[in-house]
Amino acid sequence: MRPFVRLGSIVGVLAVVIAASACTKKEDTPEGGTSALTAAQVKVALVPGGAHPYFQPWKDAGGKAKTDFAFGDVTFNETAGWDQTKQNDVLTSLAAQGYNAFGIFGVAPESINSTFENLKKQGFHVGSLASCPAGDKNLADFCLSTDVQEAAYKAAKAAVDAMGGAGNLVHLTGNKVDSNTQRRIAGVQKAVDETGGKVKLLDTITDIDKDLQTAQKAVADLLAAKGSQVNAIVTTAYNPAVAAAGGVKQAKLPIKVIAIDDDPTIIAGIKAGEVAATVLQNPVGQAYVGSYALVKLSEGCTMATPGVIIDSGSFVVTTANVATYDNDRAAKTTSLKSDFDSKYLTCAK
Amino acid sequence: MKQEDTTTPEQPRPPARLPLWANPRIGLVVLLIALIALFTTLRPAFLNTQLTLVPMQADISVYAVVGLSQLAVLSLGHMNMAVGRMAAMSAFASGLLHDRLDAPLILALAGGLAMGALLGALAGLIISRTGVNSFVVTLALDFALIGLVSLLYASFTDGVAFNGLPAGMSALRTDTFADYCAGDVCGPEIPLLAPIALVAVLVVGLLFRWSRTGREVLMAGSNAKAAELSGIPVRLRTIQAHALSGLLAGLAGFLLSANNGAFSAGVGDGFLLPSFLAPVLGGTLLVGGAVSVLGTVLGTAITQVIYKGLNLLQFQVDELKLYIGLVLLAALSLDRLRHVLAERRGVPA
Repeated sequence: MRPFVRLGSIVGVLAVVIAASACTKKEDTPEGGTSALTAAQVKVALVPGGAHPYFQPWKDAGGKAKTDFAFGDVTFNETAGWDQTKQNDVLTSLAAQGYNAFGIFGVAPESINSTFENLKKQGFHVGSLASCPAGDKNLADFCLSTDVQEAAYKAAKAAVDAMGGAGNLVHLTGNKVDSNTQRRIAGVQKAVDETGGKVKLLDTITDIDKDLQTAQKAVADLLAAKGSQVNAIVTTAYNPAVAAAGGVKQAKLPIKVIAIDDDPTIIAGIKAGEVAATVLQNPVGQAYVGSYALVKLSEGCTMATPGVIIDSGSFVVTTANVATYDNDRAAKTTSLKSDFDSKYLTCAK
Repeated sequence: MKQEDTTTPEQPRPPARLPLWANPRIGLVVLLIALIALFTTLRPAFLNTQLTLVPMQADISVYAVVGLSQLAVLSLGHMNMAVGRMAAMSAFASGLLHDRLDAPLILALAGGLAMGALLGALAGLIISRTGVNSFVVTLALDFALIGLVSLLYASFTDGVAFNGLPAGMSALRTDTFADYCAGDVCGPEIPLLAPIALVAVLVVGLLFRWSRTGREVLMAGSNAKAAELSGIPVRLRTIQAHALSGLLAGLAGFLLSANNGAFSAGVGDGFLLPSFLAPVLGGTLLVGGAVSVLGTVLGTAITQVIYKGLNLLQFQVDELKLYIGLVLLAALSLDRLRHVLAERRGVPA
């Protein structure tokens, strides 16, 4: 058998080499210039990186956008499981199902541009929602996201204020090997640096946004080990925020907690004075205005600046404005939509 | 391509030729065809070339190599719990070579493979010298490498990934052979990644089928004591099998980096479960002594087809996991049923 295998292998390799040497690459035909669709033909897919409470408002916001802007269909698919390969798979599966406009929170900001490029090559419109690609380039049509570094900076500033301008701060956040986390760490560091040494960043605990249990355990460990030294905790991820609010309340320690987002426990904590402040993002605006922009692009509009990065807003909420914060957020969403009409989109009259 | 245990004493008469239905690989092929037929009936988009078949082939290419990486040590009855992190370290080595030394694609690949092989050999060396269970050694190695990968990326990049890829690597992601033509004749719609995985499959298959080293690894896996007494250098074979596992993990890391578009710290995160699933589904024994390379490829293909099919049916996250589990359980049970039937009729399966 062996000689046949060897002979077969040699013949096979030779055939491949000869065939390859005679080959030339086909000219790339731009497929992006697809003809404009009517709103009814546009099917929007909102695809977060995985299941996470932050994205739940996308479902209703997408549904509301569909009603308000009368486009064909909208779906929300959170099956990517925080794995870029799986997310790519989910996206191509949705495309095969007829979805032709995508609002995506990329699992891996460092490689999501490749995913955007693949989809755009097939002629689909893509918006990067709630997170922008790492680096200077955004190959999606636009990125509508919280400026995470700015939001983390605001949160850390609020923490510094809450602790009276001096003391020890701890930062709780998400996946360390995620470039957004790196930006958050940089934002907190900037606020700490600005105190000129009065505030010390005691610890930055990462990788605890996987689920609430992980975050709760990390907070319990932190409070047990260093609870008496910590003056404030700033959180820049959802699960650590909920865990820190609950943990500090339970431990009855005089630690100021700066949370993120508006989980009911956090809002209740602010009302009760247990949470000093929270920094809200704008998931509803991202999904609602993102869907609107995708429909407009599908109808034939173009981006004035392809790949433009737009801040969807972040809002510091304290006891002073806890009753009215949603008005600010709704106002930001409205202004984002009109900004798309007036600044970001170029549409034929 | 199942490798029978060569230490069994010779039968007085050669066993009857395996009937087709009793061949486990045929069972898997039938299952694969049945699944494709089922999903195509439910969703004709399953046969969409650009959006389903090409990405699926690329995924199968990556995960087949991941499966082979585990198979290389399963042959000994060992496990490699660090398969994902070895891939991450290899991707780091490739990225570093390109980033700092401007290494071309082939050199970056070679560097990555060398890194994987070295790490594998290190695991093999520790296991063979200390006699500590491979599960424990590779799990400890995995923990150590998680930290190391994170530290290395933090030191050598401005975040969690290298910017830029060697020339030609993007083509591996985006192009198929249909993009290359000799005159009017263009290649098939097969991604450029597929032949690389095919070479790995052939080499591993030939190694365990025909090479002395491969057969000796299987003998060591079947009965280490007997192999030792027969003059087989069991320690060396252990190191070699682990080095092969590391090398294949490195190749899988490279393929995934090509597929996702970046050498990043997240490469290999999702490798562990699929690495066991494909070989076991394909008929490789966890206790060592018998491997099935073709079965591993078929096992990978089945898993990916199920995943893609369920994605196309737009199951939500919990249902998706539930159904993947159920379909795999059904597949394994059917295989077991076939095995029992074959035993009753006196044919080995």
